[in-house]
Amino acid sequence: MTERPYIELHARSAFSFLEGASQPDELATLAAHFSMPALALLDTDGVYGAARFHLAAKRAGIQAHIGAEVSIQYLVPGTQKKQNQSQEVVRLPVLAESRQGYQNLCRMITRMKLRAGTKTPEAPAFAHELAEFAPGMVCLTGGAEANAPLAAAFERGRKSGGAAGAMEEGRKLLAQLISAFGAKNVYVELQRHFMRKEEAHNQSATALAREFHLPLLATNGVRYAVARERELLDAFTCIRNHTRLDHAGRLLSMNSARHLRAAEEMWRLFRDVPEALHNTVELSSRLEFTLADLGYEFPRYPVPEGETMMSFLRARTMEAARQQYRPLYDRARRQIERELVLIERLELAGYFLIVWDLVRFCREQKILVQGRGSAANSAVCYSLGITAVDPVGMDLLFERFLSEERGEWPDIDLDLPSGDERERVIQYVYRRYGRLGAAMTANVITYRGRSAAREMGKVLGFDDDSVDRLSKLVGSWEWKDPEDTPERQFTQAGFDLRHPRIARFMDLCLRVRDLPRHLGQHSGGMVICQGQLDSVVPLEPASMPGRVVVQWDKDDCTDLGIIKVDLLGLGMMAVLRESIDLIREHHQEEVDIAHLPQEDPAVYKALQQADTIGMFQVESRAQMASLPRNHPENFYDIVVQVALIRPGPIVGKMTNPYMKRRQGKEAVTYPHPSLEPVLERTLGVPLFQEQLLRMAMICANFTGGQAEELRRALGSKRSERRMREIENKLRAGMGQNGIDEKTQDEIVQFITSFALYGFPESHAASFALIAYASAYLKCNYLAAFTAALLNNQPMGFYHPSTLVKNAQRHGLRVLPVDVLQSQWDCTLEKLPTQSFAMRVGLRYVRGLRVEAAHAIVRERELRGFSSVDDLARSVPELRKNDLVMLAQVGALNSVGSAKAQSKLQQMHRRDALWQVERAANPTGPLLSPLEELDKPSPLEPMTSDERLIADFQGIGLTVGPHPMHYRRAGLDQMGILRAADLARFADGDRIRYAGSVITRQRPGTAHGFIFLSMEDESGIANVIITPNLYAKNRMVVMHERFLLIEGVLQHKERVVHIKAEAVKRLNGTEIESPQDFDHAASAHESERNKNVFAVKVPSRDFH
Amino acid sequence: MTLLFACIFVPDFSVEAAVRAEPEIRALRQKPVAVLDGSPPLQTVMGLNDRARALGVELGMTKLQAEVCPAMVLRKRSVAQEGAAHAAMLDCANAFSPRAESTASDTVIVDVAGLEHLFGPAAKIARELARHVADVGMEANVAIASNPDCAMHAARGFAGVTVIPPRKEAERLGELPVDVLRPPVHLLETLDRWGVRNLRGLAALPPLAVSERLGQSGLRLQRLARGEEQRTLVPAAEHFRFEESIELEDAVELLEPLSFLLNRLIEQVCARLNARALATNELRLTLELEGHEDVQLHGSTKRIANERPLHERVLKLPVPMQNAKTFLKLLQLDLQQVPPGAPVKRVTLAAEPVRPKVAQEGLFAVASPEPERLELTLARLRNVVGDATGARVGSPQLLDTHRPDAFRMVHFMPPPRGEGAPLMHCAAMPLLAARRIFRPAIPAQVRLREGIPSAVIFREKNAQVVTASGPWRTCGDWWRVEAWSRDEWELTLECDQQVALYRVFRDVKTNHWFVDASYD
Repeated sequence: MTERPYIELHARSAFSFLEGASQPDELATLAAHFSMPALALLDTDGVYGAARFHLAAKRAGIQAHIGAEVSIQYLVPGTQKKQNQSQEVVRLPVLAESRQGYQNLCRMITRMKLRAGTKTPEAPAFAHELAEFAPGMVCLTGGAEANAPLAAAFERGRKSGGAAGAMEEGRKLLAQLISAFGAKNVYVELQRHFMRKEEAHNQSATALAREFHLPLLATNGVRYAVARERELLDAFTCIRNHTRLDHAGRLLSMNSARHLRAAEEMWRLFRDVPEALHNTVELSSRLEFTLADLGYEFPRYPVPEGETMMSFLRARTMEAARQQYRPLYDRARRQIERELVLIERLELAGYFLIVWDLVRFCREQKILVQGRGSAANSAVCYSLGITAVDPVGMDLLFERFLSEERGEWPDIDLDLPSGDERERVIQYVYRRYGRLGAAMTANVITYRGRSAAREMGKVLGFDDDSVDRLSKLVGSWEWKDPEDTPERQFTQAGFDLRHPRIARFMDLCLRVRDLPRHLGQHSGGMVICQGQLDSVVPLEPASMPGRVVVQWDKDDCTDLGIIKVDLLGLGMMAVLRESIDLIREHHQEEVDIAHLPQEDPAVYKALQQADTIGMFQVESRAQMASLPRNHPENFYDIVVQVALIRPGPIVGKMTNPYMKRRQGKEAVTYPHPSLEPVLERTLGVPLFQEQLLRMAMICANFTGGQAEELRRALGSKRSERRMREIENKLRAGMGQNGIDEKTQDEIVQFITSFALYGFPESHAASFALIAYASAYLKCNYLAAFTAALLNNQPMGFYHPSTLVKNAQRHGLRVLPVDVLQSQWDCTLEKLPTQSFAMRVGLRYVRGLRVEAAHAIVRERELRGFSSVDDLARSVPELRKNDLVMLAQVGALNSVGSAKAQSKLQQMHRRDALWQVERAANPTGPLLSPLEELDKPSPLEPMTSDERLIADFQGIGLTVGPHPMHYRRAGLDQMGILRAADLARFADGDRIRYAGSVITRQRPGTAHGFIFLSMEDESGIANVIITPNLYAKNRMVVMHERFLLIEGVLQHKERVVHIKAEAVKRLNGTEIESPQDFDHAASAHESERNKNVFAVKVPSRDFH
Repeated sequence: MTLLFACIFVPDFSVEAAVRAEPEIRALRQKPVAVLDGSPPLQTVMGLNDRARALGVELGMTKLQAEVCPAMVLRKRSVAQEGAAHAAMLDCANAFSPRAESTASDTVIVDVAGLEHLFGPAAKIARELARHVADVGMEANVAIASNPDCAMHAARGFAGVTVIPPRKEAERLGELPVDVLRPPVHLLETLDRWGVRNLRGLAALPPLAVSERLGQSGLRLQRLARGEEQRTLVPAAEHFRFEESIELEDAVELLEPLSFLLNRLIEQVCARLNARALATNELRLTLELEGHEDVQLHGSTKRIANERPLHERVLKLPVPMQNAKTFLKLLQLDLQQVPPGAPVKRVTLAAEPVRPKVAQEGLFAVASPEPERLELTLARLRNVVGDATGARVGSPQLLDTHRPDAFRMVHFMPPPRGEGAPLMHCAAMPLLAARRIFRPAIPAQVRLREGIPSAVIFREKNAQVVTASGPWRTCGDWWRVEAWSRDEWELTLECDQQVALYRVFRDVKTNHWFVDASYD
């Protein structure tokens, strides 16, 4: 350390949400650059950034002190809380000296946060609580800003008694702090930001420090790492105060002096008070606590007397194993035994029991549950019913899940049906471990392209329209076009970058990206703790009632060794569960997902033909393009299929070799004969992480744990040095085994390119089970499966309208929404032919609330509806807009049908709209009971085009023909093909195709190519758009709903694609049949004329 | 006599208004033109012609997006030009009949009943009207019908000249889309849902049922669709123009004779205002100057093509006044300050009429100067300090910024009676050293030692720094072009054995030093 040492002990990061402007890592790195041996992070009312700060400091080789600025509601001792005092909240900076101090800090913040709830943003602690939590903490008095404790006290006193009053109030505050924290633990803070007012404050503060014999402490009250980031802080200040820079005035910073300063600079500033600088070192040496000393302990599972957790787990496992493995063969028994020994050695019995307990709860509650991830490699997990794949039967590698060398907690993720059932499981965890014993992990919401553009635009005073225009254009494709620069986006949005304010706008947008905005809640991670979780990390109320979240996200928790159980909501699990219920209710059959008939020929036929819309994991465009080539024939083929179309194998260039070998177009070879047993199943191509581990074990004599370490070293957080070390070790091992250098290179290449994205085989197998189940249900119970799928949207790859069209092509009759028949959900109806049709549920009527839908069902069961008037009167929950929407989509056509003499007299949609307009207009009490005489409406029925448009507007799908069907005659004349016709043409043929776009995709691995899935009445066609073509037709490709494609057919290996050479908007005028123009009297009229191509066909775009 | 109304409707009015102001009207009409509204950098298209539409330009596009289209002509919206265009439309209508209604900025309806004797049949009247409008530089649709609304809808819906014979209204209007009626959005949506897209469909609906569903506004819409709605034309009210003008045979060069003329005009205007019990809060003086090419034009003098140069002055008064003497003095002072710069050929004085202020003053209210006299004093002050822009005389208003001494000048207005600022309670004021600020700050040269000022040269004096305190740093407005940053020091300077305390600052952007203030 230099002779003039200084340690910054009062820094805020951007995790003070909108009150700081730098990442904790940035602060830590800069402190290390300044040769500062330590740095303290004090974010406001939390330790949100502490985990990242701790790790960054560790990397940078400095010590990370943890503290916080805690909001305290100041009360003068001896007075009662008064109404008008409630406003006076100060921010008390405190530092954790010991673990006890840290725990107290967490508990204090938890208490104030939970007390305030989610509705009050300000959640202060009370001054009288300080003493309770003070042990182990050191407090500072803050700078000269208005909400710093000492400055606030001076100001309070000055108002009532001038300079003397100020000193008196200061004295009271210091006395209070000393009584709470002890004289040794109060430091009087001095800050210098080149402001006159601050100097006056410093003089008074110094005088009081001398009077009370308190040490002085120089800090810079850091808000950002470097001076330039003051601009971001100013922007944040505006966002916080809902204003813009031009109007913010003195809310903004006075200058840019609150950046991290090097010791020399601080010594220059504080040369008159050297003790204040020396004290920073003295205090830093006192602060022993770091997050390495967190004191977290996973909860113990309560076991009956006389049992240990291990003996209990062993007994439960063996008991369950005998049920699962019938019979429990030797290899399985040995594996279980081996795992139990390791679990005992690592003292993980409690963890397994707790997960087992959760699974048991789900089973009791009839909630579908399935473990995923590497847990599926464990025979113990399989025995206990946590996972559904037999790792022994599939010869999976246990070390991928758990190893002695790694010293990390295992990771068990549970897939649950999304929605209420998952919520029940989460609430069970809270009940079982107490409100302060379990919490969800947080999800730090950061500024992304769009949010950055929106908020920075507002701050700079741009109007909403301009900002919206830009935020829509900010590209969010998965693949980043090197030409899709922010400059280009701004220019496309109509912003002139030569204008200084717009240049500034872009600059701020870029700089604010990735900075935290606020805290959200992670979808499924739960952390549990033995005893009090609130002494490990502060807890906050979540927006969902009854939930609490920790202040760290899931990566922070993992990094700090806090064990978490992911309770993930999987839409497909909910679909499976709901399908089973529907099948039970309507087919009177019981389907057991765990024991489905294996090798169902219908399932494999559908997979081989890529007829997979709606099926789990195998429905994407890329999956469909590879399924006919891979031609899956058994369950393991599905496991491979699930893993094959992933970034890992694609980037690692494993996908094509595998497919070629599978089709017998390439010989199956192995890099080394010793690897044959490992790679045999995947035709010599490594596809799974387990294979990578085994390769290292076989070729280089790694232990299981070392191999897993290798995988992690090559994983997401790569370090050059570590990679080199491991590679050397790998090569040394291979050398020992006599593997030549060329083969070594090949193996190293295999391993390094693949490790980053690989997929565990166990995980693929778990997903393959769900994929098989979804395929089985679709092939055998189409109506139930489709209804369940539609009831659990949004999920999967396709929009409901595509799912419905696909089901119809498979022979399902889909019935329209009808207020006399539909439930809230989509349901099944038995047809006279004894088959089942699916009725679209009221949930699809746009804007209709669930209460109103339930009221319709309730009322119609009581007495039916004789007319629209009657419906409107009986269900007052229905608002006019609801009635209009119901009439528009034809849901009221059957109302009063009993009175209709014939089908011809049944209402059409316009009749219903005519009635609705009257029913919804209050006529007063005298006339309201009078129904309009049964006169037909004077309105013309809707044309088929109008009905189509109304369907898409009102329910987002149509049960009638596909829009393309209506123009087929014209399209045929133009030589435009249908999707189903494409397969008749040969590779290389030039064709024209038109359809509606149902998905747009620009995958990260496809070098800027865009894939469109397009639909017509006959099926789906796949179109490839080259980057060049996209650049020329950006708006058309991105935004048009109906496209006309001209291009070359690629028809290889039973897979058909169109490689587009031209892409045009399909506007219909060139293919309208002449009679459509008959009533188009004027230009105005034809403009407003409804056209099928005006249908807002929804698409799912994957950016 | 049968009722007969003609409607003049100018499609794409904002474009027409912009185009007619330019000499190359014909050439411009052949090009795609868009009119932009808003202030840079956020100007958006608010009007466009068919050629621009054909190129894909849409309302709401930004300037940059519109510029992309080749050969696009962009014009900034001018409310004045639109006002002038509308006035021209009214003039055309007035040339036919005094009963002309200013219905909307782009629409004028005129009662042409009985004009057949003068101009011939209705079609001829319509053609004549269209020709008149074309003469003033705009292309209009003209329609004649038996009621004002029917004529208006026909003009909006049909291009060129249209004549609708009596009792044929419903038939002829039937083809037009419903939105020519410009109904409220919710009614338009309902009609759209019903599939009622043209006026014939709307006219055919049973009235009782329409009334039940759409209420009275629906019924009215239906009458309009049938061309049956009769209403009384509301002719544009005669605008009281309190304007007087003198054309001079010989140009006046000196201010004194000009004042004499001005006095005459002012008295006439004031007499007319007085007769209607009105006052004015704005006087507009327009001097037409002798048009020599070599006349040096400056100030607010401008030249209109082929016309004499104009010198315009506008006096805005804080309260409505009626006093001729005050007006004369104010105008004299103003002309002294901003003289016309050329001999005057014609003098026009216009007054904006407003109601005079009537207020009883409080018995115990602190007396404040009379508005007239105050205004005169301010004008004299402006004259003395040469304040043509109004930035040097008035009340300073502090700005909400950290920028030291940032203020703007606002017109001096005494607080309303009884609301005077409370007197400062002296006892509560802390004892402060008085700071005398130099405005403008005095440029200085400063020598530094280890970053701290050691000597200051200003006002040709070389002062040694005895003590230095600072720097006090402020910077801000970083998002603007006029970003600023300054470091201030309090320096005790010794010069000629005298010691004094000064505030000195460095403009960080330019690295120039200034002495800002001294302390007593």
